[in-house]
Amino acid sequence: MATDRTVSATWNGSLLEGAGTIHQAGSGAFGPLAVSWASRAEEPNGETSPEELIAAAHAACFAMALSSGLAKAGTPADQLDTSATVTFQPGEGIARIALTVRGRVPGIDAETFAAKAAEAKVGCPVSKALAGVPEITLDAALA
Amino acid sequence: MPRIVRKAEVAWKGTIARGSGMAVASSSSSFALPFTNASRIGEPEGKTSPEELLAAAHAGCFSMSLGSELARAGTPPEHLDVRCTITMDEVEGRGHQIVHSAIEATGVVPDCDEAGFAQAGEAADAGCPFSALIKASATVSVNATLEGI
Repeated sequence: MATDRTVSATWNGSLLEGAGTIHQAGSGAFGPLAVSWASRAEEPNGETSPEELIAAAHAACFAMALSSGLAKAGTPADQLDTSATVTFQPGEGIARIALTVRGRVPGIDAETFAAKAAEAKVGCPVSKALAGVPEITLDAALA
Repeated sequence: MPRIVRKAEVAWKGTIARGSGMAVASSSSSFALPFTNASRIGEPEGKTSPEELLAAAHAGCFSMSLGSELARAGTPPEHLDVRCTITMDEVEGRGHQIVHSAIEATGVVPDCDEAGFAQAGEAADAGCPFSALIKASATVSVNATLEGI
């Protein structure tokens, strides 16, 4: 079954001097969030940006895929701490995404954990959608 | 221009079926959001999902690109509204995949006609870094119309 998720944004004025709002998400989970070119390209100053939202989407999707893969292998995780760091080069686009995970997983060895993390990195839907990013790195270890 | 780096962190506890996660905006501290597998696949029940975060990213990225394209064409916008719907579906033999991003843009743009606005919409789709990337697994549709015409 297909799942739809909708979010709206408003932008007022020019790119450099204007400002935008990401309105309350369809789920009600977040928003309104302020965005601006300055906070996207320079210091965030408390404002999110498309790159930070992509980082959140990727870290979340990767964690769920890894959780699923570990459970299927008979070694469900107690806790997974993931992060995604998105590097954006203005004029070129997203140059790099660095994924990290530290896992508390009873009954698994480091090598198998690393292999499951590598599978989740390739297989999660956000990774598949972002397959065009030139470099996606993974740093996986047991906590 | 220097590289821009943005980070988010997630803590996931428990199994995929019954566990839950928290996604935190580490760079800006602007959000900390719970999510579960049930709220990702079924009804959101007030929780976000990776796809909703991508919809927010695409709406934000596209609105900035469209504003930039309109300014470049000599018709800077007063106001732009951009709505993005991301669809995830199960694809035969490939599991869950993000298959479509639908962008609907409306705007108040002095001295710009419908054709010019639609053209700026196409240029924004070509220029928005996220539109380009997501085409690895998804199609992107853009529907751009001026307000009050």
